[in-house]
Amino acid sequence: MNFSNLLRHISFKHIKLNKTQLALIMGGICLGVAAIVSIDIVNHSVLASFESAINHISGRAALMVSGPEAGFPEEFIEQIQSVTGVEYAVPVIETNANLAQGQGRSLVILGVDVLQDHQIRNYAISDESADIPDPLLFLARPDSILLTRSLADREQIKLDQEVKVQTVAGIHTFKVRGLLNPEGPAKVAGGDMAVMDLAAAQLAFGKEGRIDHIDLSLLPGEQLDTVKTRIQKVLPAGYEIDTPAGRTKQVELLLIHFRKAIRLTGFMAIFVGMYLIYNSVSISVVQRRKEIGILRALGVRRGEIIALFLGETLVISLCGSLLGVLLGLAMAKLTIHTISQIITEVYLKTTITDIAWSWPTLFQNAAMGILAGLAAAAFPAIASSRISPISAIRSLPYAENGSAQSSKTKIAATITLLLAILLLMLHKITGGRQIADATHFAVVLILLCISLHTPIFLKWFLDIFHLLLSKRLGAGGRLAGLNLQKNLARNAVVVASIFCSITLFVCSACLIHSFRQSVFAYIDSIIRADIFVSSGHPMTTGGSPSIPMPAEMLKEFEEIPGVLMAEPYRKVYTHFNGKRVLLAAFDVTARLSYCPAMLADGNREDLLRLLPDKEYIAVNEGLSAQHGLKPGDKVMLPTPSGPHAFGVAAVVVDYASDSGCLWMDIQTYRRIYQDHLVDMYELRLKPNTEIEPVCTTILERMGQKRRIFALPAGEFKEEVRKMLNRSFVVTNAVNIITLLIAALGIIVTLLASVLERTREIGVLRSIGMLRTQVAAIVIIESALIGAAAGLLGAAVGLLIGRLELEAFFQLNMGASISFHVHYAATALAILLAIILSALAGLYPAHRAAKTNIVEALAYE
Amino acid sequence: MIELKNVSKQYRQGARAVYALKDVSLSIQKGEFLSIMGASGSGKSTLLNLVGGLDQPSAGEVFINAKPLHGISDSELTLIRRRQVGFIFQFFNLLPLLTAIENVGLPLLVDGLPFTRVKPMAEAILHKIGLAARAEHRPEQLSGGEMQRVAIARALITNPAVLLADEPTGNLDSHTGEEILLLLKSLHEQGQTIIMVTHDSKAAAYGTRIITLKDGALSQDVAIGGPLA
Ligand SMILES: Nc1ncnc2c1ncn2[C@@H]1O[C@H](COP(=O)(O)OP(=O)(O)O)[C@@H](O)[C@H]1O
Ligand SMILES: [Mg+2]
Repeated sequence: MNFSNLLRHISFKHIKLNKTQLALIMGGICLGVAAIVSIDIVNHSVLASFESAINHISGRAALMVSGPEAGFPEEFIEQIQSVTGVEYAVPVIETNANLAQGQGRSLVILGVDVLQDHQIRNYAISDESADIPDPLLFLARPDSILLTRSLADREQIKLDQEVKVQTVAGIHTFKVRGLLNPEGPAKVAGGDMAVMDLAAAQLAFGKEGRIDHIDLSLLPGEQLDTVKTRIQKVLPAGYEIDTPAGRTKQVELLLIHFRKAIRLTGFMAIFVGMYLIYNSVSISVVQRRKEIGILRALGVRRGEIIALFLGETLVISLCGSLLGVLLGLAMAKLTIHTISQIITEVYLKTTITDIAWSWPTLFQNAAMGILAGLAAAAFPAIASSRISPISAIRSLPYAENGSAQSSKTKIAATITLLLAILLLMLHKITGGRQIADATHFAVVLILLCISLHTPIFLKWFLDIFHLLLSKRLGAGGRLAGLNLQKNLARNAVVVASIFCSITLFVCSACLIHSFRQSVFAYIDSIIRADIFVSSGHPMTTGGSPSIPMPAEMLKEFEEIPGVLMAEPYRKVYTHFNGKRVLLAAFDVTARLSYCPAMLADGNREDLLRLLPDKEYIAVNEGLSAQHGLKPGDKVMLPTPSGPHAFGVAAVVVDYASDSGCLWMDIQTYRRIYQDHLVDMYELRLKPNTEIEPVCTTILERMGQKRRIFALPAGEFKEEVRKMLNRSFVVTNAVNIITLLIAALGIIVTLLASVLERTREIGVLRSIGMLRTQVAAIVIIESALIGAAAGLLGAAVGLLIGRLELEAFFQLNMGASISFHVHYAATALAILLAIILSALAGLYPAHRAAKTNIVEALAYE
Repeated sequence: MIELKNVSKQYRQGARAVYALKDVSLSIQKGEFLSIMGASGSGKSTLLNLVGGLDQPSAGEVFINAKPLHGISDSELTLIRRRQVGFIFQFFNLLPLLTAIENVGLPLLVDGLPFTRVKPMAEAILHKIGLAARAEHRPEQLSGGEMQRVAIARALITNPAVLLADEPTGNLDSHTGEEILLLLKSLHEQGQTIIMVTHDSKAAAYGTRIITLKDGALSQDVAIGGPLA
């Protein structure tokens, strides 16, 4: 087959000759694939860990009944037990807690009905605890607790010893009555779990008379769906009845934004990788123009030329992708711990012990890398086959193709631009919700259109350079500018490739920046107290273990000298139209007396008039957009006593949860939910009171009874900032990868484009140019290209950032997230483009300076 | 065996249309050694390219061995280049990456023959033109004359119906040029049909027939006995 001949005799020689260039391109693909592989594995591992936790906890339960997060009355157990088809129905308290000893390890506490729970779950109690199995004995002593053997080993706790646990009522001492072998529920959270009797757990965690869920099994021969319908009839509306698989699905939904966001960044990396290939193949086509002409003259068909370039790309991207898979696995392994932390902080408590991956997905990702490579190479490969052998072979080609844009590219550019505008308009008209992807697609089109226009842009740029700067740079500067102008088409390809990476970098930097600025503005509008007191991590948004405190503590705080007022803050999750949304309950009157909370719709007076102790709530923008809620509307929320109607008083700005937030007055909340716990107390001090001494007093007075954190406002906000930054760790990492790939691209293209000008440089040297002058020309040229690309990239990045902000953030998080230019990142990107380009010109410049004049001129 | 009937070729240079060839009719017999002369820009290369299937006429007809080269697909035209003609260029146009022997064998490699079969054939031709010792050298290690001989060997390896040479001596000193011309002459004596473009009348005299182009039109067509005349 002649294709293999070409590959063997032509391509492999190029590959051997251009090892550095090749390694760089391979590195780019490798990074792109690594990003997508690691992101996929992380996504997969997160879900797998939740799924296995749910399955371990569920045991034999076929269905699980859950209500509002604050718990629901235990009377429902009897009602459910009496439903036909139900075999066993057991109550469960499932909560997070901390050890009040050692490192303060966090653990999952399962409060169960000791007499019945073995019908649903298997507890394998280890032999040494053999005298314990008598459940009545266990029950008789309310300080009983079972630990897993692994937790006991880690914390060096022995059987029958005591263990201190942080509870709502303060630090509580339990006695370890048995150790669990790692089976069934004991495998949850990597073994960081403990089992208590239901009543003891209720007491310890402030849930007297209430339970978190009811697990039930079915009588043999009963249909799942029929039983489910029967249960639905005895329960008030708003209760969830789910299978374990259904719960997994819920978690998936909860994490959907997180997963979407990191997937998007992964695709960005692949896109940049594609651009790198596109650009390196384009360069290679330009470089090998003559070779292609000769091959064509000798009778190589167009298709074979295309196949040649695709074949080379295949080999390179195959190697790059395989390396990328390995690197991706390593990256996933390294980051999974951090990711697990982020998810715990932002969404749900999770302990991911190891990465989960499967051959098919790895294979899929590698295949995607290869396909992306081939797709990117296709365009320049096809262009290469259009090279006319006559003009390629001629020593001086007729009118350099593309120096003036060909009509075809003009048409293509116009069409892409029109398509992009059309998509954007469509997006605007439909309100965007249905086709958020339309914007992403429009963005790709805009990038394409601008890439096609780079020759024109470069021409403008050089004209301006001539007008303003070139005189000051001496002969070298003039020549450099002229050189670039002469090979406009070729240099435009380089500019296009660099600009694209800069665009992506600037765009995502500005997106993150906008989001952060908005969140900070929000935090500033809502967090104005002087001291923040909680029993766990101060920024407990999702499931991280903060043990709530009793409502009565308010008085203790107000008695502390210097405290002007203390304000309770309670945060739970509730189901709203099938989604898990954050319900924040606080003293609205007190809060609004000193916080300028931001409103998106409605007014402050309504909030003050309608919320306090009335059946009114405020919703955040996300909820308002998703469910079309306006002030004055009515919504139904599930409460322990069944669905309850609330009026919407206003739409507020709140970014505390990406799945939606509700505000409710704490009096209303306590009345309806019968939950008197508090997650955080916010204290305001009397004027001219020093903060530190008050914090010390708080710790002195309350620190013995419970683990407590009292953070001054500055530190608290710093914690928030840290957490926010952590939640962008993936995006940032991918951003850095993108920039790395871009840097590779800059080096590859400039290296290639300078190396091929040996002859020209020989001519310059022969007419008496100094080595340093030659080197200067090459470096100035590179820097000019970098500057043109950097400026274009920054401008387009800002434009695209705006568009994506609308399509992504504003849609999910609310229109109040406004676009903020990240000046530092934008300047950095431009500077980086220039510096990297100049650096990339260094080696070729060195080579150019050393060029042997005679050889350079003789070589044709 | 080569027929041109009312061939014209038009190029577009910016907005302007240039006639490189105007209504040229010509017929070349098997075994002829045709020299094409004319001033620079008179259309010599254009004519050669049309005969060699590197390009297609804007109007008129071109035949090789009664097969038309006009109005056929690029793929068919490429196959004609691959199997029917051998090109020799002023600037040699060897692939700098390949050794002499690989350059010579390239047309057969392109046609799908394995290198194991191509190698002995390429070696034989290199031997014939006296370059056996240079087989493993790359173009940059060869002199101009040697490069041009490698190019001739490459053109011959497919046993083409016609050898097309565009100013083959234009980039060589007169002595080396003469060697190349003698080599072409000896090939012609072995029965090879050759068309050679040159603007040097001494070189043209190696041919058996000289045509002259002026502004893209045929202005002279003389048959001669040989260089001795
Ligand atoms: N690809 C081309 N594009 C534009 N003009 C061309 C092209 N090829 C040849 N020409 C023009 O056609 C005319 C004849 O060219 P050519 O055949 O190369 O002349 P010669 O080989 O006799 O010097 C010249 O005026 C040249 O400028
Ligand atoms: Mg010519």
